[in-house]
Amino acid sequence: MRVQGRRLSITVIALVGVLGILAGSAWSQSTTKIRYALGDVVGIDDLPLLIAADRAKARGVEVEITAFKSEEIATQAVINGQADVGQGTPYAAIQKVSVPIRFFYQLSTLQFFPVVAKEQYKTWKDLDGQDLAVHARGSGTEAIMVLAAKQHGIKYKSISYVPGSQVRALALLKGTIKATILDAPNKSFVMKEAPDKFVILPLGELKASDEALFASTAFLEKNQAAVSVLLEELLKVTRAMNANPSFVVDERKRLGLLKDLPEKMEAEVLPYYQEGVQGGIFPADGGAARAAANDIEFFTLAGQIKGEGAKAEDFWNVAPLKAALTRVGS
Amino acid sequence: MTGGTARRALWVGASFVLVFGIWEWAGRWPISPAFPSFSQTVLALGRMAADGSLARAYASTLQPLLIGVAISAAVGVGAGVAMGLSRSIEWLTLPLFVIAQAAPMAAIIPLITYMYGIGLTAKVLAVTILAIPVIAMNSYKGIRNTSPSLLEMCRAFLGTRRQAVWKVVLPYAAGLIFVGLRLGVAMGFIGVVIAELLITPTGIGDLITYHSSVADYPEMFAAIASIVALGALAVHGLQRLEQRLFPPEIRG
Repeated sequence: MRVQGRRLSITVIALVGVLGILAGSAWSQSTTKIRYALGDVVGIDDLPLLIAADRAKARGVEVEITAFKSEEIATQAVINGQADVGQGTPYAAIQKVSVPIRFFYQLSTLQFFPVVAKEQYKTWKDLDGQDLAVHARGSGTEAIMVLAAKQHGIKYKSISYVPGSQVRALALLKGTIKATILDAPNKSFVMKEAPDKFVILPLGELKASDEALFASTAFLEKNQAAVSVLLEELLKVTRAMNANPSFVVDERKRLGLLKDLPEKMEAEVLPYYQEGVQGGIFPADGGAARAAANDIEFFTLAGQIKGEGAKAEDFWNVAPLKAALTRVGS
Repeated sequence: MTGGTARRALWVGASFVLVFGIWEWAGRWPISPAFPSFSQTVLALGRMAADGSLARAYASTLQPLLIGVAISAAVGVGAGVAMGLSRSIEWLTLPLFVIAQAAPMAAIIPLITYMYGIGLTAKVLAVTILAIPVIAMNSYKGIRNTSPSLLEMCRAFLGTRRQAVWKVVLPYAAGLIFVGLRLGVAMGFIGVVIAELLITPTGIGDLITYHSSVADYPEMFAAIASIVALGALAVHGLQRLEQRLFPPEIRG
């Protein structure tokens, strides 16, 4: 009797186990997970992504976002297979590493502002033979300033490297540096803190990517449906945001995203997106072929891409975006 | 060369061959597509030495390191000796050094930029806040560990307090003070690299961040390996000097 009882309980346990496995695999079939590597802490500039991720989840694609210390570490996570999709512009790594990684979506284009101390400088010509501070050697900010110098026929005396727009903004306010380049939030911060002390030098339109999505070709091949869902939602969110920037603010409230945002930062959300939309930095079509061509030109100048004649297909795979565009309309 | 030293050299050589061999294998396997082999790293080091970028980087990195170590040696030994000789100074300052030694400095160094900006001062400070505690603590221990029988002997011969300090305590503590200086130099290397990575990328920190950002992984590893090698050689050199200068019983 006792032996029979034990057999029965073993059978029950085995049955429960099998059912569990079956239920698990059914769940995993209905939900696909995309491990998304972000190269910075999640901030207000990531709201469109968070909104799109929330919508993708409702369609069975869970986007698990992990914030890494830097874009390079996020890129390493994708190269080593610990993350599926990365965000950033690691053109150098994609060119040099043997694992085939491709960009497949442009989230935003560069938006930077050369800010200089009014007392010393008023125009680009005044910067001839002067010191300049940018983010890092070989960075986009350096390339932008070098390109502008070429266009205006000037040459800087020296370029020093001060990582972080926020650090450069504070150094500018303290007077430690006199000329630098800042991102939109920090430019606004400096101009608000000391409106009479600084001028923003005019810069032509920047077309290269600030943030783009990349993944291994193997991942893109295997997960076409999930990638398409993410891209479709990103496209829809970008279009809604371009039509009305307060869409981001409303959606953030409705979905409860970035709940612990301090009040001061909360007030910056709408101006950030209004300025971005006005500057046309959020492409309504994910960039695609145009983004690839612009990026190759810019990042070759920045020194990220080495050699002449780099081809778009060496860096971009436009197939996933094309598929998503056919679903949501071009 | 005697048989003993020859055998020792052979073992040391074998250990290097083993480590570099595993590195080469790991790079060729590869454990990560971004991990360069030992031979690729050596070639990159050669390229950086040939184009002068390595020499320029060290000229820049050694500046805060040497200034920082010199300040740390003076302040650290001074504070350690003072704590060892005076109970009231010990009571006042010892907890500071104990806390400084235990604090995670990589978390504190970015705070320096808020107070001292991003220039040479900030980097020198990063070196000193890592090096001073270890130098001070060792000097303090050296003074406190002076053999009581030697001090008794000094008193028996009617030595004054000044004579006891100059002729007994300091010579006796010299070994441990030197150990502190050696460890201080090692901490200084850590401090200067953390500062160059976290404050502003200059010198060897610039080589590491730049080559990492443009995905020149062999160059990045070569820069890291070169600073590790230089730090190890400097500390080893000081250890050899220490063995020559001080008898084992006062080295701690």
